[in-house]
Amino acid sequence: MPAVPASSPPAADPDPAPVDGSPSAPVNGAAGAEDAPGPAAARRRPRLPGWAVLSTVVALVVVGPLVALPASFVGEGEAFDAIARTLLPRALRNSLLLGVGVGAGTLLVGGGLAVLVSFYDFPGRRWLEWALVLPMAMPAYVLVFVLLGQYGLASPLHSNLLGDGLEIPGLRTSGGAIVVLTGVLYPYVYVLGRSAFLGQSRQAFEAARTLGRSYGQAVRHVAIPLARPALAAGATLAVMEALADFGAVDLLGVQALTSAIYRVWYGTFDQDSALQLATLLVGLALTMVTIERALRGRARYHQSLARGDAVVPRPLTGWRRWAAPVGPVVLLLLVFVLPVAQLVAWTVETVREGSVDADLARSARNTLLLGVVAAVVAVTTATVIAYGQRVHRSRVGAVTSRLATVGYAVPGTVVAVAVFVPLVGLDRRIARWADSLFGLDVGLVFTGTILGLVVAYVVRFHALAFFAIEARMQRISTNLDDAARALGADRARILADVHLPLLGPGLLSGALLVLVEVMKELPATALLRPLGGDTLAITVWEATKDTRFDTAAFPALLIVAVGLVPVILLVRLMRTDGWSSAAEQL
Amino acid sequence: MLSRLIRLRWPIPVIALVAVLLVVGLAVVATRDDGPRLVVYNGRSHYGDEDVFSDFEEATGIDVELRGGTGPELFERLRREGEDTPADVLITTDLANLWRAEEAGLLQGVTTPTLEANVPAELHDADGAWWALTTRLRVPVYSTERVDPAAVTGYESLGDPQFAGRTCLRTSANEYNQSLVADMLAKRGREATEELLRSWMANDPDIINSDGELLAAIAAGDCDLGLTNHYYLGRALKEDPEFPVAPAWPDQDGAGAHANVSGAGVVTWTDRRDDAIALLEYLTSVEAQKGFTAGSEFAANPEAPAPEHLAGWDDVVTDPIAAEEAGPLLEEAAQLMLDVGWN
Repeated sequence: MPAVPASSPPAADPDPAPVDGSPSAPVNGAAGAEDAPGPAAARRRPRLPGWAVLSTVVALVVVGPLVALPASFVGEGEAFDAIARTLLPRALRNSLLLGVGVGAGTLLVGGGLAVLVSFYDFPGRRWLEWALVLPMAMPAYVLVFVLLGQYGLASPLHSNLLGDGLEIPGLRTSGGAIVVLTGVLYPYVYVLGRSAFLGQSRQAFEAARTLGRSYGQAVRHVAIPLARPALAAGATLAVMEALADFGAVDLLGVQALTSAIYRVWYGTFDQDSALQLATLLVGLALTMVTIERALRGRARYHQSLARGDAVVPRPLTGWRRWAAPVGPVVLLLLVFVLPVAQLVAWTVETVREGSVDADLARSARNTLLLGVVAAVVAVTTATVIAYGQRVHRSRVGAVTSRLATVGYAVPGTVVAVAVFVPLVGLDRRIARWADSLFGLDVGLVFTGTILGLVVAYVVRFHALAFFAIEARMQRISTNLDDAARALGADRARILADVHLPLLGPGLLSGALLVLVEVMKELPATALLRPLGGDTLAITVWEATKDTRFDTAAFPALLIVAVGLVPVILLVRLMRTDGWSSAAEQL
Repeated sequence: MLSRLIRLRWPIPVIALVAVLLVVGLAVVATRDDGPRLVVYNGRSHYGDEDVFSDFEEATGIDVELRGGTGPELFERLRREGEDTPADVLITTDLANLWRAEEAGLLQGVTTPTLEANVPAELHDADGAWWALTTRLRVPVYSTERVDPAAVTGYESLGDPQFAGRTCLRTSANEYNQSLVADMLAKRGREATEELLRSWMANDPDIINSDGELLAAIAAGDCDLGLTNHYYLGRALKEDPEFPVAPAWPDQDGAGAHANVSGAGVVTWTDRRDDAIALLEYLTSVEAQKGFTAGSEFAANPEAPAPEHLAGWDDVVTDPIAAEEAGPLLEEAAQLMLDVGWN
């Protein structure tokens, strides 16, 4: 059996010949593993690189609907010219500003906090460590709702913590949007940075110390560079989220690309122009992903998975000891504690006055159900793609797996419409087919049920699961695969017995990220929900739009509360070193 | 558990597929439509008048399913679903949305004696494609603390240099504004409308996302003069009679205050036409109209009494939107607003 150890990852092998399905074998030459005796040998067959093909197909399905976006530039662009003259310049500028601002902001805040908490000890560190993840449960539009609600005067609510008619200068500007978005998105960088630091082995750090570096220098020159892939991944997530944000910028009246798209789509019903605008946004997002890749470089930092040898945080002394917690505490107060307290106060007020919406329980159930379903599907697609990539590296696979994450940067509205257009056609075909063949009235299978919405969620949030799982998978040394192959395990067995147990935390955090995001998701839900099945987010949105803050308060609080559950689970994983034991719960 | 299953040597893709299908299938079953119902695409979903529909269910035994969304969202959805749409009735705000739906052939003409008795001729489509449920005035509103009422006389006041830097407007993406401008284009002509809009822009208005927030901004002192639909102010005043914003009924010596409608129509592809008509007849009845006016809108049915908290507001001189003329001008209106710099 030919070994063909293709040199290294992006080998010039775009359409991998069906050699024997062996991966680009690493240096230690275990590529002949397929020859090894064992159960697998009994049913050997000539193989296509099955996982690679499957992975590519799944990736294409995930990204498929978005193909309509670049295709929209083919054809006349008359309407687009008018938009390019009026809407586009401002929208593009605001979106760029948002992306750069939120990227820098989250790196600074999230990365800084991760370093502070990981390497320094100070009073309150133990609870700040997990509390800092909490804002993840706070959608930007809920924070905006709370801030706008402070105006009070036009609101039926009276229990404003800071008094009625409070003015927040600069809130309705792109600067205001950057601050709000950074406040709720920094946990992406914080979580990924923190877990990278926790996973770092002490040896490298101590080697630096032995070589005469101070503690701070070791942090700067060893620990942070080692965490660079994680920090970059976190910031990329935050920036993509910011670019895709619609609720907050729209409520703040900041004209970004997302709101421009929405506006063109629903103002002029000119799909071509809206799709063209969306393509620009996708281009912007692709640029961000490319930058992240470039920052990460070829680096793949395999860390030892051994436990208990992470760096022990060093106690701060003197004034620093007391100054250290001030920043994090103030931040938490502003973006989480006070807003939640405000929501509680408003909710109590609405409950007392009996003005709680009657449909609340149903929308809560819908929300949870959608989140769980989307999370299950997204984790599956992510695992398949990541694993296919791993077992058979090819340029095609690399490109498609990357493409499949693009949906995350596409505003929910556009994903929804991109999904909606083909699904409506499919639905009609299915309906006709079922009718003519079986005389059945199946209705609209996708767009008439939650299926269409689930498809949109997966297109959009697959990236979250993928990043979490891929990052984790990269930490599993390829030596393990080789060893398992040498012992006769086939690819599926390696995934089941070697990877999945080690991937546990990645799967869990991937699923939780998707769950949280789906529950907060707004624009795609608004468009694709089987109308009538309202979610909590829809309720908050519609009420906020209409300054009916009393209707929005309780569902907003519920969104935050339900969002807290996975966040707390995530936190538990972070706190205990026992990633694997927590993962058993899955 | 998963790992043990896999050790049974099932191919992972199969397991994954089965698991995913199982979960998705369960979810679909759990959220399925239950039973035949009259499906209403409801653009008034955030107006808090759902009680009207439950009253209809009780009165007639026809089950109604409300599916909410904004006017444009519902239009887009209905247009795409076409003959496969589950919708039977479209209820939407603003003439722009009604006109578009009619133009795209989404609504069928229905006329019954009851409907004609309930809704005056100028408040429904000539062919019966849509019937108004309520009317609403889009009027200048001002801070009672910082503005002399006599200084605000009409739509022109928003462009009065004395209010430079003191005005706020809702985004031009909003249909209410687009309909207003389209109506102006129809009645005043392009030149006069553009001149008026440019004078508004010269005051460098703050652009705000919603009528309600605009009122809050005036109350909080962010700006002094704005433009909103009257019922937002009606609700704020109902909640707090001391709310420091008042309406300035425009052009009372001339054309009057711009009046728009919200309305309903029967979807072209409905298979429950009779039930749909029954709903329209009910919604325009005096009984149901009271539910709408509680939210401070004016009733389309002239027999319905005006709400008490709006005393004095119902004798305002109004200028009903010219549906047939303004409809085709909506696109031009939206473009004009962008051209003059109204974002």
